[in-house]
Formats: sequence, structure tokens, C-alpha cells
Amino acid sequence: MNSILELKDVSYVYSKGTPFEKVALDKVNIAFEKGKITGLIGHTGSGKSTLVGLLNGLNKPTEGTVFLDGVDIWEKPKEISRVRYRVGLVMQYPEYQLFDETVREDIAFAPKNLGLDDVEIEARVRDAASFAGIGEELLDKSPFDLSGGQKRRAAIAGIIAMRPDVLVLDEPAAGLDPRGRSEILGSLRKYADDSSASVILVSHSMEDMAHYCDNVVVMADGRIHSSGTVDEIFSVAEKLSKIGLDVPSVSKIVSALAARGIDLKGKLYTVEGVKDAILEYIKEVNK
Amino acid sequence: MISDITLGQFFPGYSPIHKLDPRTKIILATAFIVAVFMANNPVSFLLLTLGALVLVAVSRLSFKVVFKGIKPIILILLFTALINVFMTSGEGTPLFELGIIKIYTEGIVRAVFMAVRVVILIIGTSVLLTYTTSPISLTDGIESLLSPLKKIGVPVHTFAMMMSIALRFIPTLVEETEKIMNAQKSRGADFTSGSLVNRAKALIPLLIPLFVSSFKRAEELATAMECRCYRGDKNRTKLVKLEYKGRDILWFLIFAAALAILILTTVLPYNLDISGQIYEIVFYQI
Repeated sequence: MNSILELKDVSYVYSKGTPFEKVALDKVNIAFEKGKITGLIGHTGSGKSTLVGLLNGLNKPTEGTVFLDGVDIWEKPKEISRVRYRVGLVMQYPEYQLFDETVREDIAFAPKNLGLDDVEIEARVRDAASFAGIGEELLDKSPFDLSGGQKRRAAIAGIIAMRPDVLVLDEPAAGLDPRGRSEILGSLRKYADDSSASVILVSHSMEDMAHYCDNVVVMADGRIHSSGTVDEIFSVAEKLSKIGLDVPSVSKIVSALAARGIDLKGKLYTVEGVKDAILEYIKEVNK
Repeated sequence: MISDITLGQFFPGYSPIHKLDPRTKIILATAFIVAVFMANNPVSFLLLTLGALVLVAVSRLSFKVVFKGIKPIILILLFTALINVFMTSGEGTPLFELGIIKIYTEGIVRAVFMAVRVVILIIGTSVLLTYTTSPISLTDGIESLLSPLKKIGVPVHTFAMMMSIALRFIPTLVEETEKIMNAQKSRGADFTSGSLVNRAKALIPLLIPLFVSSFKRAEELATAMECRCYRGDKNRTKLVKLEYKGRDILWFLIFAAALAILILTTVLPYNLDISGQIYEIVFYQI
């Protein structure tokens, strides 16, 4: 397999040895592939955000190992910042990290920390900005004058400017309108393809998972509940509703039809897939 | 990291100390502080230490947690103790002499007493107050104890409200700081190495977002309070009324007795019949 980031028997315990001790992750094993978008889904408190913090070395696993290109990222703790440049992490509500005078300066923060020269920095800022949908005219504005969606995009551009091999996004579309949502999520496919990077998308939304991801990892109670391709996971959608996750809305239509004796075939978790399946079914019936 | 700071953190529980009225605990803590500063000889210090240990045991907090609270001040404590050892001059011949450095018995005794005093002070007050009293009931207690001042026009309620808001938002602010730190670390910011100037500069990406969100939060809170018609303490009733119970009186009595014994020990020991040099060193008054 073409995996770039791999977790082996990773556990994480909060406040170990105090009355507040809490096991957030329990012996987790996953591998993330190059050029693929992996969705990470699970209930609040299932350990998603904890896992995300382990991927780029913000937290050190209590037990187990995180491998980047086959190398333990904690082998040399002093060089952990190198890992952070290669595994770009967009945290939840990333607009809170904006601080500089202009959007341009803010996006340039990470490349500057990388120690790049001015020409390269300028090129990366332009690239990242256009990638995240930030127009030229916004670059010289203060980040605090932008709208909510623009701030979010500027913050994402700030991470993309590092050109990470693994891009991790924790709920990048939370609180955005549908259009901003599809713009941000849609650009992820382009990033995965263009730089053959591995993209990891954390989300609550099954629709987004079904629509934008290749693989899905389902988490529950700090463990991997199930993982596989989108087809595999959503073909057993009932299992997901058992652990309290919402299945895509179209799946509800499909099961309602099935209850009336209409069995559809095909990709039954996206709107397009169900549309095709229904048209197909009508054709069959009319024959 | 930041979240490791336990000094001033509340640990929920159901021990006899947790159940006490906050006013009782504030008064007892004040009495404890007085006792700590009255103690002046080994017997009284022994009693105090014993008292502090009993408090920890009764509070059912783990000793580990309590001692973790002292960790941050150990360095300062050592430093002050050393200064005491070197700077105190006494009568008689010094125990140790090297050039201008002279160490007297009195210096050592004073340093040890000082260190023990500070440690016991912190353990006693944190077990009685911060570790076992939620910030909300603590401010309730302070407000109630200070309420006589209202008669001379001191805005006690406003102060109490400000204090409880400040306390309430400390954990939020810590959490927020960690979040923003993580976000900037993800962009390659380095908060822990480099020269002092560079480290100060590295704080800008942390402080600016923190200020921005704090101001925003303060404004939102003010709006939310106004929406619920908050207008200070006029005609305001309390959900939980503070009331002294039997156990509060019991604790007052126990503390009064302990304090009385302690005061006795500070006066009496000179009549005890202990001979030899040990007597001189041990019962030396500071």
C-alpha cells in the first residue's frame, strides 16, 4: 500500500494520574494513503480531535508510534517542527489563529518560519491564496476586516503555503454557508491530486464524507469502529446509525424505498448515485 | 504544560471539607494563617504540620496533588532559605566560617522555620479553600462576608460578580491559549527556544488572537447578561442561600481548640525540663 502516515497501537490518555484521567484513544491503528482523501468521522468525544493532534506531533502518544514515511516522528523530539511542516494541520475554527497586519503577511507566517527566501515566500503566498480562493485584492487587507468565510479561507491558505505532504483539516466547513462549504471541500480534491498529498478530513457530515472522500474511518469511544472505502462503509449504513451517527439523507430515501419493496442498485449514498439508481430502476420496470 | 498548574484549581468531591459553608472555610483559613505566623518553636510547628496533614487527609485529596501545588515555588523557597542561612547573624561562635561567610545556628533555624511556614501556609489554605471550594461558592462566601460593607456604599456585589467572571474564564482562557498555541505551532512557530528577544517576538502570534477573542467574548457576555435583564444586586435573590449548619459550628470549635493549644505551646515550652544543648537549639525563639 502507498501509505505515508501510519499509526500503530496508538493510545492517548488525558491528565494521567489525576482524578480527571480519561482515555481518549485506545490502541488505534490506521494508515493514510498518498493522493487519497480520507474522511474521519465520529461522534463528539469519539477521539477525532485528539487523533488529529497526534498526527503532526502537537501531542505525544501515551503509547504507540506515529510513522511518517516509515520513520517514528518522535525519534528526535527536537526536530518535531519538521514533522509539523510536512503534516499541515488546519484546526477547528482556524480563523482564530490570524494575527498579522495583512492577509499576505499572515499567510507568509509559516513559509517564513520554514526559512524560505522572499521570492519563494511570495510565490507560495500567491499559490496558496489562489488555491484557497482568496482574491488578490484581499491580500493587503487586515485579516480582521474579512468576512467569516474569507477568514477561514485565509487561515487554510496559511497552512497550504507550507505545501504539506499530508493535509489534515478538522471540521474545515463548520459554520460556513453551503456555497463556502462546497468551495473549500471541493478544492481538497485538487490538492490531493496536484501534489499527490494525503488529505485527512474530519467531519460530522455524512454527506460531505460520501461526496468528497475516497476512504472513511469511523471512530467510536476512542477506537476505530470501522474503516474502508466510501463504498464499503456506506453499504452498511445501518451499522453507523447504531453508534449514533447520521446516515446520508439519501440513504434514508433508499431504505424507505426498500421497505416498499423497491431494491435499488449502485452507489446509494450520494444524490447523483441514487438519482441514477432510481432512473435505472424505472427503466427496468418499463421494459 | 499550562494545564499542569494546580495551584488554585478546584477538585470536586464530597469530603467533610468540601461540604463546609464557604464562609466557614474562609474564616478558618484566616485563622490558619494567623496560627502559621504565631508558631515560633518546634513544638508549635510540629502541631501545625500535623494539623495541615490532617486537613489533607480529611479532604480526601491525594497527597501527590497537594504537593504538586508547592512545586512551582520550591526554587523561590530554596533561595530565600539560603539567604536566611547566610544573612542571619547570631550570638556565640558561628557553626561554619569561610572568609566573610559565617553560618550561625540561628540562621539555619530561621531558614527551616521560614520554609516550613510557607509550605504549611500554602497547603493549609489551598486545601481549605481553592482545592475544595468551587470558585462560585468562594465568591458567594466572600460576598456574604463583606456584605456589611454595603452599608457604607461599597459595591460588594459588583466586585463579587467581577471576581466570579474572572475566575470562571480562567480555564476558558487557558484552553484558548493552548488552542492558539497549537495552531501557531502547526505553522512552525517556536515558543520554547531562541534568544529572549526572539521568544518575546514569538508571543505576538499568540497574544493578538488571544486579545481579539477575549474582547469579543467580553462583549458577548455583556450582551447576554443584558438580554437576561441583569442589573446588579438590587432585588436579586439567590438560588442557593448560604446557611451555617451543625458541622460548621463543630469545625469552628475544633479550630478554636487547636488554636488555643497552639498558642499555649508558643508560651509554655520554656518551663519544660529538657536539658543540654538540644534544648537551646530546639527551643530557640525566632
